[in-house]
Amino acid sequence: MELNDEITIPAPMEKVYASLNDPEILQECIPGCEELIKHSDTELEAKVVLKVGPVKARFNGNVTLDTEGAPNRFSLVGAGNGGVAGFAKGGADVELVDQGDSTLLKYTAKAEVGGKIAQLGSRLMTSTAKKLSAMFFAKFAEIVGETETT
Amino acid sequence: MNDLTPTSEERSAKLKGLGHSRKRVEDARFTQGKGNYVDDIKLPGMLFGDFVRSPYAHARVKSINVEAALALPGVIAVLTAKDLEPLNLHWMPTLAGDKQMVLADGKVLFQGQEVAFVIAEDRYINADAIDLVEVEYEELPVITDPFKAMEPDAVVLREDLAGQTTGAHGERRHHNHIFLWESGDKEATEDVINSADVVAEEMVYYHRTHPCPLETCGSVASMDKVNGKLTVWGTFQAPHVVRTVASLLSGIEEHNIRIVSPDIGGGFGNKVGVYPGYVCSIVASIVTGKPVKWVEDRMDNLMATAFARDYWMKGKISATKDGKITGLQCHVTADHGAFDACADPTKFPAGFMNICTGSYDIPVAYLGVDGVYTNKAPGGVAYRCSFRVTEAAYFIERMIEVLAIELGMDAAELRAKNFIRKDQFPYQSALGWEYDSGDYHTAWTKALNAVGYKDLRKEQSERVAAFNRGETRSLLGIGLCHFTEIVGAGPVKNCDILGMGMFDSCEIRIHPTGSAIARLGTISQGQGHATTFAQILASEIGLPADSITIEEGDTDTAPYGLGTYGSRSTPVAGAAAAMAGRKIRAKAQMIAAYLLEVHDNDVEWDIDRFAVKGAPEKFKTMAEIAYASYNQAVPGVEPGLEAVSYYDPPNMTYPFGAYVCVMEIDVDTGVHEIRQFYALDDCGTRINPMIIEGQVHGGLTEALAIAMGQEIAYDEIGNVKTGTLMDFFIPTAWETPHYTTDFTETPSPHHPIGAKGVGESPNVGGVPAFSNAVHDAFRAFGLRHAHMPHDQWRIWKIANDLGMHG
Repeated sequence: MELNDEITIPAPMEKVYASLNDPEILQECIPGCEELIKHSDTELEAKVVLKVGPVKARFNGNVTLDTEGAPNRFSLVGAGNGGVAGFAKGGADVELVDQGDSTLLKYTAKAEVGGKIAQLGSRLMTSTAKKLSAMFFAKFAEIVGETETT
Repeated sequence: MNDLTPTSEERSAKLKGLGHSRKRVEDARFTQGKGNYVDDIKLPGMLFGDFVRSPYAHARVKSINVEAALALPGVIAVLTAKDLEPLNLHWMPTLAGDKQMVLADGKVLFQGQEVAFVIAEDRYINADAIDLVEVEYEELPVITDPFKAMEPDAVVLREDLAGQTTGAHGERRHHNHIFLWESGDKEATEDVINSADVVAEEMVYYHRTHPCPLETCGSVASMDKVNGKLTVWGTFQAPHVVRTVASLLSGIEEHNIRIVSPDIGGGFGNKVGVYPGYVCSIVASIVTGKPVKWVEDRMDNLMATAFARDYWMKGKISATKDGKITGLQCHVTADHGAFDACADPTKFPAGFMNICTGSYDIPVAYLGVDGVYTNKAPGGVAYRCSFRVTEAAYFIERMIEVLAIELGMDAAELRAKNFIRKDQFPYQSALGWEYDSGDYHTAWTKALNAVGYKDLRKEQSERVAAFNRGETRSLLGIGLCHFTEIVGAGPVKNCDILGMGMFDSCEIRIHPTGSAIARLGTISQGQGHATTFAQILASEIGLPADSITIEEGDTDTAPYGLGTYGSRSTPVAGAAAAMAGRKIRAKAQMIAAYLLEVHDNDVEWDIDRFAVKGAPEKFKTMAEIAYASYNQAVPGVEPGLEAVSYYDPPNMTYPFGAYVCVMEIDVDTGVHEIRQFYALDDCGTRINPMIIEGQVHGGLTEALAIAMGQEIAYDEIGNVKTGTLMDFFIPTAWETPHYTTDFTETPSPHHPIGAKGVGESPNVGGVPAFSNAVHDAFRAFGLRHAHMPHDQWRIWKIANDLGMHG
């Protein structure tokens, strides 16, 4: 499964990059995220409740960031396990383009999903992923944009 | 005699014997919801078992933590391989001479594999507990392609077989190789093909699919610790073999095991094998001392219990310029999944795939089958066919079509030119079978005339011309198939399952008032045995079919038999019924002669009675003889009227048929419409024409499903992509066309009543007929071969690849 999209965030690039590294903001933006722990600047651990079609499961996952090109670009890889519901692993490349007051965020994500969630949800997987990422960025833009104006 | 004396016809009709379209006696309960299936069995204190299954197709199991599950109220126990190991039940033998994990031992090899067995007070607690079992996996590389599995550096799947260069069927030449099975003369075939006028070559893939019976697999095990008796109700197509296997595995003496197959909601091969669920429910009952039920859900069924097909068949067929076939070569790469759990007679690891010369007189042939391990579910069962016969029929019927293209010849004419002639039977095939009987030319001519073949071809060429002029976007396909099956396994000399010869049996008891009970070693899964076996007996013993109870499936009462699959019930158990009936009649003859005060040889059989020769008004009916057998002292004859027969068939039977499918195909959407389907079946003597017609309708609909969309598909990481009925195609009334059925009748010369079996013919013949219709529609546009299933996208893609979308 591959996803790519671009979105304009109404905040300057440094602010966007900092927010993307803020576990509290991330937890608020990731749909179904119950817990997000930042172990280091490049290692995160998350518990996310995910629902695809008829399958609902709590995924425990780890994410590793590669921030070599920051703040203009960074990438991440991660893997999550939802027990009998299945597993997911994948990665994303994110690029930030400075547009003054706002920032253009471009991303390409690849994911591999297995187990019951893949079987039952196979035809819903891409649409669910698109929906979840849209929810994430809508919330993200809202929070980051708000803090900027206040 | 007066007007009230029934005529012979009236007496015969009253019996409802052979040839009578007797209504199915089973249907009164089935249509009223009064059947008794495994899941209907409810015993006091019964517990429920269900599996924790692997989400991974290939992974090492690092640890299993059951603490949280055990802490849940209502959970009794959680079994893992470690618990089964002391009993030596963590692995079990398969029917194919391999072994299979009952519960994951160190690693998992396919998605859905059984990892732990949770035992709880009800199914809801079970489901919650399964979520609480924590399994830590370490992913391993996944192989879902049998050709990649055979690459030198492919990951080792079966570590338990490390260093074993010999398997149950000879040499293993690679760590993921199971066997090479060969038939025929390889060198002679190569010589003929290399020097032939015309050679057609093609790779024909018969995709992986699944029998998907309406009722999934399940069992209820109940160990009575007081009397030491184990009773298991289950979805068993072969209950007696299950008893023997259960005894050998558990060490419980066979007389202390009772296996019962209650009503079974469709088997189609899915219920032949022995599954981890059966073993775990038995162990769980022994451990807990309570009855334990295990019933699969639909996803479990599609994912983990036996699949069918998955044969990559590479063929070469050679012919003279005028279309006389000279040789056939076939090499199969057979994807068996993680364990070789094919349900075939022991000596036939590729089943009867060597019937692949089909209905044709082919002087020389060679078949080689390589069995290969992959990270897919085990199985390889005969899904509504005799062992690998539908693969064989599909292969040869595709090769004939490809050869017709190579020769520029009409495919119906090519078939007729190469059929085994009527006068050649019994016919010795190049791959070793002795075809018992057949009359292919008569059937073929009848079929072609019935559909108006010449007119259809004319219409088709006009349609092609209209398409080329841009006047239509719809094509016409004429799908031909002439198939020959090999069913009724089989002679004990070469057919056995786990050492048990493939005979079958019937035991008859006649009651004093002229009714009877007959028990057989087979088990109906919807075939209508209670109806048809009573008809065979009615004609043999002269009691009405309505007065004969048929009972099967309880190993404590039924005689030993090898069960129902591979269209073997009528050819083998049906023969046993006729032979047991003849024993009854022989004794009845002595009793009748005594009662009529004549010599044994002075009475003769007449439908439902013995009459004095030359004096038909002096007779004793079977009902009278039955009564006399219980209340008269007949000198030299024991009281009672009972018989048992164990029948070892001298040969298989060879049903055949001629099918034609006329299909309209929309080039732009890939949507097909079946305009006409004509099915002529020759199953020898016809016992019940109505049941035959029903069998043909059902089998054709399954063939439609397989050819046009049904598959078990995997992605690269081993996910089953078609694990629910949302994605696994089952035709409904909406997709199912009208079928026209027809017949010829060529009795089997060696079967007591000449019957050959019919339940599987429509699946064997139907798949090539549907598939050939799709291919034929595109023949004029350059299509040689395209893999099944022909769903709308794939048909659209054929048109697109041929450049037909502009």
